[in-house]
Order: sequence, then C-alpha cells, then structure tokens
Amino acid sequence: MLSMSSEFVSSRLLFKEGDESTYELFIGPQHPASGHMRFIVRLKGDIIVSVDPDIGYVHRTMEKLAEGREAIKAIPLLERLTIIDSHNVTVALVTALERLLDAEPPPRALYLRTLLSEINRIASHLYGMGIAGIMLNHSTMFMWAFGDREVWIQLAEELTGARLTHTYSIPGGVRRDLPQGFKEKFEKAARYMEKRLQDYMKIFLLNPQIASRYEGVGILKKSEARRLSIVGPNLRASGVKYDARLADDYGAYKELEFEVPVREEGDCMARMLVRVEEIKQSLSIIRQVLEKMPSGPIFAEKYLKLLPPKTREQVLKTGHVKLPGIFASLKLPAGEAVARAEMGHGEIFYHIVSDGSTKPYRLRVVTPSFRNVVLFRYLPPGHRFMDFPAIYGSLDYFPPEADR
Amino acid sequence: MDIVGFIVKLFLSPQVFAPIVFPGLLTALVVLLIIIWAERKIAARIQMRVGPLYVTRHLGGVLQMLADGTRYMFQEFIVPETADRIPFIVAPILALTLAILPFAFIPSAPGFSPISSPLTLPAVLAVISAIPISVLLMGWASNNKFSIQGAVREAFMSLGYEVPLFISAISMSILYGTMSLEEMVTKQFIPGLILNPIAAFTFLVSMIMSAGKLPFDIVEGEQEIVAGPYVEYTGIIFGIGMGLAYLKLYALSLIYTIIFLSGWEPLPKLLYDIYPGIAGIFLFVKAFLLMLFIVFLRSVYGRYRLDQALKIGWRVYFVLSIVSLILSLGLRVILNV
Repeated sequence: MLSMSSEFVSSRLLFKEGDESTYELFIGPQHPASGHMRFIVRLKGDIIVSVDPDIGYVHRTMEKLAEGREAIKAIPLLERLTIIDSHNVTVALVTALERLLDAEPPPRALYLRTLLSEINRIASHLYGMGIAGIMLNHSTMFMWAFGDREVWIQLAEELTGARLTHTYSIPGGVRRDLPQGFKEKFEKAARYMEKRLQDYMKIFLLNPQIASRYEGVGILKKSEARRLSIVGPNLRASGVKYDARLADDYGAYKELEFEVPVREEGDCMARMLVRVEEIKQSLSIIRQVLEKMPSGPIFAEKYLKLLPPKTREQVLKTGHVKLPGIFASLKLPAGEAVARAEMGHGEIFYHIVSDGSTKPYRLRVVTPSFRNVVLFRYLPPGHRFMDFPAIYGSLDYFPPEADR
Repeated sequence: MDIVGFIVKLFLSPQVFAPIVFPGLLTALVVLLIIIWAERKIAARIQMRVGPLYVTRHLGGVLQMLADGTRYMFQEFIVPETADRIPFIVAPILALTLAILPFAFIPSAPGFSPISSPLTLPAVLAVISAIPISVLLMGWASNNKFSIQGAVREAFMSLGYEVPLFISAISMSILYGTMSLEEMVTKQFIPGLILNPIAAFTFLVSMIMSAGKLPFDIVEGEQEIVAGPYVEYTGIIFGIGMGLAYLKLYALSLIYTIIFLSGWEPLPKLLYDIYPGIAGIFLFVKAFLLMLFIVFLRSVYGRYRLDQALKIGWRVYFVLSIVSLILSLGLRVILNV
C-alpha cells in the first residue's frame, strides 16, 4: 500500500523508518489503552524500536480562549485542563494573578487552598494508580482506586460545593470557609485511606506478578530525567528531589512540615511507590493544616471592602464569598507575573502578560503532562511490546492536560 | 412404537447423551452462561461493585450473558474487504467444533463413556491442542496487524503450555497404568492430587494458560492488541471467540477432575440405578468449583508479559512436569498399583 519510491510519503504519519523488518503498529486514538492520543509503535520482533507519541487530539485552544475573556473567567476555564486535579491546576494561575494585582490573601485562605490542593492530589494519584492497574489488566486495582477516589471527591464537595470543578481559589482568597465537622469527616477518610493503601500494596504493588511487570522496567536515569526536564513523581522516582511546593511560595507549605518522597531506582515500580508515599504525605499535610488553621477572614480586605455593607456582613457570617462587582471587569495592571504549583502529575507553570486591560494579553501555561510526554519516546525502546502499557500506566500521563 | 423406542434408546445411549446433553454440549452452554456471570459477580464483589444486575433483577442478573448473546446474534457479521474470506469464516467454525469435540471422549459415570477406547486421554488432549491452530488461522485470515500479533502470541503460548500439560497428564497415566479416562477414576484409591501433587499443580497452571485466563490472558491482551486474533470479528462469531476460552476451560476442568480429583466418586448409587448418564453429578460439581477458582484469579492478578509466561512455561513448569514424571515412576515402583 505504501510502496512509494521515495522514503517520505506526503504525511508525517506515514513516514517510514528503516526497512520492512520493523512492524508498525498504530496504537490509538481508538484503542482501549491509548487515551486521547496516538502512538506509532515500531517493533522488531517483540522489541520496541521506536515510539512516536502523536499528541493534539484533544487540543482545546485553552490559552487562546483565556486571552479572549476577563482574567477571572480564566479560572473555571483552565480548571478543565485537568478535571481530576482541578484545584492544583488553577492555584498557580490565581497566585500569578495575585502577584499581578498585588492582592495578598489572608493566611486562613492560604491554609484552605493547601487543604484542597492536597485532597486533589490524593484523588489525582488514585486516578493514576487505577489507570496503571487496568493497563496491566488488574481490574481490582482499577476499581478500588476509582472507588476510593470518591471519598476524596466527596470531601472536596463538602468543602467547595462541587465534586470536580471547584473554582475555589479566587484572587484575594477562597470562596468558602471550612464547613463544620470537616475535621471529623477527614479523620474518618484518612483512617480509611491508610487502611486501603495497605490493601493496595498487598494486592497490587507487592503482588509478585505485578512486581515482575514493574521492577526494572522503563528505567529513567537521574541524568536523563534532568536533561529531559521531567517533572513530578516521575522525576522524584529517579532520585531528583524537586518539588514546586518547596520551589515556589504558594499556599501554606512554608509553615508545614512534610517530606518529599524520593526513590533512586527510576523504574515503573519506583514511580508507583512514590505516588503511594505522596498520598501518605498528603494525609499528614492535611492533618497539620486542620490543626494549625488560623482563624480570620478568607477573603482579602482589599476586595472585601468593595462589597456593599450588608453583603459584607453576610459573607463574614456565612463564610460564602460573594464576588464584588468589580471582579467582572477587573483591570490587570500592565506587567508580567509567573507562578508555579505542584500538581499530582508534576509542576505546572503559568506566565501572564498584561497590557493593562481587563483581559490578559498572553496567558501561557506549561503543564506537567506536556513536559512528561517526551518520555514515551525515550523509555519504551528496547523493551518488550507488552511493557508499553506498564510504562504508560506508571507515567500517569493525562492527554487533555498535555494538549491544553 | 418401535421407532420411538429406538429414538429414546439412541438418545439415552452414552454415545449421544454424554457428548450432547450431560456433561457435554448443552450443559457446557449453561455452564458458559453461569460461569461468565459468576466471574463477573465474584470480581464485582471483590471490587466493591454490583456486577450484572438489570437483566432478571430478582435472580441477580444471571441471564445477562444470554441477553448479550442475543444481541450478538442480531449484530451484523462483517467480513473485512482485506480479509481472506474463506478461512476467515471457516476458522471460527473449526475452532468451535474442536472445542466441543473433547466431550466425545469424557466419560461421566462408570461404564458410560461415549467412546470406549484405552486411549481416551491422549485423544482428548490432542483435540484440545488442535484449537490453537484454528485461532492462528483466525488471526492470519483477518489480515490485521493486531490480530497477527495475537496469532503469533497464541502460537508461542501453545508451545509454552502444551508440553507441561501433556507430560503431567502422561505422568498420571504412568502412575495409574492406563490411558483411559474411565479406568483412571477406578484406579484412584486416593485422589491423584495427593498421589502426585506436582503433576496436579503443573496441570492446573498449564490449564489456566491454555484457557487464556488471567494471569495468562496474553493472547487477547486488550491493553496492547485490543482483542488479539478476534479483533476483526463481529456479531455471533465474536461471541464464539469469547466463549471458546470458557468451553476449553470447562473441558479441561472435567479432565482435571477425572485425573486428579477422583472423577465422579463418591458415586450416588440411587441416581446411577435410575440412569447412569446423570450419575456424574459430582464430576460436574467438582469441575464447576475448579472453574470458579480459576475465574476468581482474575481479581487477584494482572497479566504476565509474553516472555515471562514462556519462561514460566519452559523453565519452571516443563521442569516440574519432568519431576512429576519421575515421581510417578517412583510411586509406580513402590506402590505397584
């Protein structure tokens, strides 16, 4: 069919590499394990020669859309980048906007942001572990992780009023105060999660069958991880201790004690174990947050006083923030601001350029999955074809996030 | 009246009743429906789900598989333009025939063998080992990259499991001094599982590999090659492809019960006196429990890699089957059964 004289056929996708001895497989976009993307996998026998990740199937012009609307409206929009981790994905945007607007959120708001960020991180890691499970056809891990994710989604709903699209952080603070009895509900959830993590270890990661699929597979060396600028748990599993929670000042992380789990092996197993450890750390962070939570307002004084007195009283009484009218046409001062945050998948980076109008002149977002997608090219070659789903699962790659 | 008597006699003869009704084809189809339902229900219970429910709700959704099968029946059967037409259609029919054929050799009660031969064990294993050839043909005729990958995997796997399967079965026939399935049961004064546990374990694992159940569902490998050799099939033929593994599992479970779990013993005397064809009830129950155990493994394991499975087949279970052969020879000398 492709017997054309030249090496190149018109489309990039039909570009032939090497001779007929490689077997070309198109994994996706309509494939049970491809996600919203395509991989062009070339095999020699059972050994992967090259993998070409073909991204862009779920590109939604997020950056451009954000440039066409008022700054505040970018928050619910960009949440949709990674719907499973929607607070972490926007907290950096809000931080950047605050830096531009010079609005300092009160300490209680910072603690509440941290609380929701960690709840989101646990849910995101559970999602990733579930997908990793089904990639090895381990349906129990898939169902358990997805079922237990529900616990954290419900906690987030308790706090914010929405299961996934929280839109919790706004410039100057957060939209809702801590509900009553949240601490008890969290303790119950945390005890359950700690028990479940042991179950996960037993049935999945310590299961000799799964261990034989993960150990020594898809090794990412420390130097390679640095060179390819990988982020998130994938980087930390290769022995690099980098975490945007420590690198940038957002939320209340400066006042909390937590460890950054690091492993040296860099294989699929290490990546999965780092996620498990991070869930444990997140639980400890939330405990500290609930203990140390300062009392006070949840919305910056600067914006609170723009509200009519009656509404302001209501806000202070109920803990539900009503946005001041000025927010609809908030003028961003001319200038630039950057911010980054640690998502479940890794570091997300925002760069906002403003020319003084209500809409950002340029809103650039670099997502962790976009930075990790290069691993598909580097990790699988040399492995067996059946290792491909194992590696894919362990990377916790999320196509809509990478495509933006 | 003579004709009616003849038909009834023919129907109740072991040559017809055993392969067609019990424990053969009709029972196999019922088992197929129930075991898939049971597999899904067991997995659902472990995974904190409900499982199939909405078809026949008060029976716990047991007829779900029948509903699925009916849907398959009315689905269009597409032959791809690039497929090799004749083998594409013939191969699944051949596979189904070969999957049903083992029931012609499996006795269900003493003196109730469809085919009385001293060589029923090698015959039934030969028939079962011919199924991969038709699966290979399905994959090749589909002319699809994924299905060819699946066919190649089937070829590799069948070499991996068949050698230990055969040797562990042969080692038991050495121990009993017979190759007839019926005589094997009578020779078991204690179950073969206790006499030669190594052979029993090797046969069990080879059986799981042969039926393509987790952790060895490598041929279908959904996460890599979608459905393997069956990827181009639609409608009822796809359903046959799905049922094939379960039919194979059922036949092998019956053989396992006969060789290692002392078959139909203890024989219900009352039923045997009424009609010997239905006296194999314990054979069926044991085989069914064994199947339930095998489908339960789905909730515990993921999938092994192809090279790992081959390594397990050749380096572990091949060696173990040789050990079981030596053990059988030793036992034969000592016990002199």
